[in-house]
Amino acid sequence: MSAQVAALVATHLSDRRRSVLAWGLPLGLMSGFVVAIFPSVEDSIRKAVNGYPSGLKEAFGISQLTNVEQYLQAEMLSLIVPLALGYLAVRAVASGLSGAAESGRLDVLLSAPVSRRRLCAAGFLATAIELAAVLVVTGLLTAAGSVLSGAGLSAGPAAAGFANVWPLALLFAGLGIVVTGFSLRTTIVTGAVAGVLVAMYVIDLVGRLDAGLSGVRYVSVFKYYGNAIENGIEPLAFCGVTAAAVLLAALGAWLVDRRDLAA
Amino acid sequence: MTLSVVAGEVFGFLGPNGAGKTTTIRTLLDLLHPTSGSARLFGLDSRRDSVAIRARLGNLPGDFGNGPTASGRELISLLASLRGVAGLGRAEELAERFRADLDRPLGQLSRGNRQKIGLISATFHEPELLILDEPTSGLDPLMQEEFLALVAEERERGCAVFLSSHELDEVERVCDRVAIVRGGRLIAIERIADLLGKARRKLTIELAEEADVAAELRALPGVSDVESRGRRTTLTVAGDIDQVVKALAAHHVTDLEATHPSLEEVFLTYYREGEEER
Repeated sequence: MSAQVAALVATHLSDRRRSVLAWGLPLGLMSGFVVAIFPSVEDSIRKAVNGYPSGLKEAFGISQLTNVEQYLQAEMLSLIVPLALGYLAVRAVASGLSGAAESGRLDVLLSAPVSRRRLCAAGFLATAIELAAVLVVTGLLTAAGSVLSGAGLSAGPAAAGFANVWPLALLFAGLGIVVTGFSLRTTIVTGAVAGVLVAMYVIDLVGRLDAGLSGVRYVSVFKYYGNAIENGIEPLAFCGVTAAAVLLAALGAWLVDRRDLAA
Repeated sequence: MTLSVVAGEVFGFLGPNGAGKTTTIRTLLDLLHPTSGSARLFGLDSRRDSVAIRARLGNLPGDFGNGPTASGRELISLLASLRGVAGLGRAEELAERFRADLDRPLGQLSRGNRQKIGLISATFHEPELLILDEPTSGLDPLMQEEFLALVAEERERGCAVFLSSHELDEVERVCDRVAIVRGGRLIAIERIADLLGKARRKLTIELAEEADVAAELRALPGVSDVESRGRRTTLTVAGDIDQVVKALAAHHVTDLEATHPSLEEVFLTYYREGEEER
């Protein structure tokens, strides 16, 4: 990593240091609470889930809710954490590009001898680190909830479950840079990518619910997300989605490099 | 548009709003890409060699901003890292000189105080070329003086200064030459004294006694808008006023007031010339 990119990443992370706690604390507290109450609601949950239609269980990746890991997957890792982190990813990457353009900061930075591609690379790298930090905070608070309640959450599977969110969220950071190649307005960048995020989730859900539509799931990154807490991280999917995120970021950097940065 | 600004020269870049001043600067900095043709600075292409060009210049954008949370020190430290400059020694000196607060978040500073940080960030690394877009905007008169002194020192150091401004007084005091643009085209490049000499200025003449000087004055080349009322006559002169003074020599002049032309009047002079040439 060049000294310029390192300096930009450090600044980006410093600017967004509050966001790690702003996102990690509520997600972690919620996740920790979910884990903490599991021992007391275990029986009633098990009975309720047994009554769910099999299609619904399939849609939310629930085969059974017989342990706290499955409960954490169903309550947090199948929907809330991926959607929240995907949205955080685009907000983080937009703050360093479109947000910087709106505040005038981009003009100041680009008065220095740094290329737009390096700015994009730095924004992407900083977002990757920020996402990892939020996941670590969330994971630690979840573990704390387990320890305090005696829920017995297994550290390895839980860590795999949280880590598996990282490439998925990063993909939306890459997509955010692509949209920045077309618009320097933060509302447009975050709105467009958030729309894609929700659309991909819905497409994947529909594909799970209706076997006849299962083919549409290939266009959604959620197809490759899986259930790492139960099945472990699938290396091919993890690396493939990460590579797709990097490719999108590179495409976005190319587009940003070609566009005018209007006053 | 071809302009040559030499080392140790302060070059004014003038034009009304929408004339293309900021667009020219943004094109040179590779923030905007030319729709056709190319832009060159230091003999380098603004697109292909953008990073090498920016390594040699300092820039104060017209609307200097840096987001609400970062402080001036954080911004200048980042710029120093990007430029490979070790230490903030000169930035600290400039901050002291401009009484700029480097530690407060920029979002909490007034426009003038933010502008001081912008000036420091443009000059702390001692660039070969300094591009300043409306640099004194928001600065109080005392700081404007300090800024003009800094520009003079940069010139002494051998730095070329490219200054876009609306303030004729500022341009007059600090610039060696100026270019006037309109609609993205160069109308004229002049030495500052020639520019002011050509500008139309308003004269108010008061004679000791009533006399019909209007016809005589109207006949002089470059004189227009002559109006006489009693002992007082007002008129507009393009160029120097020597011929008017000589025409009045036969009369007892009790007062002669020449109004300093505004920047708009300077533009008007050149735009009229441009239209007449067409």
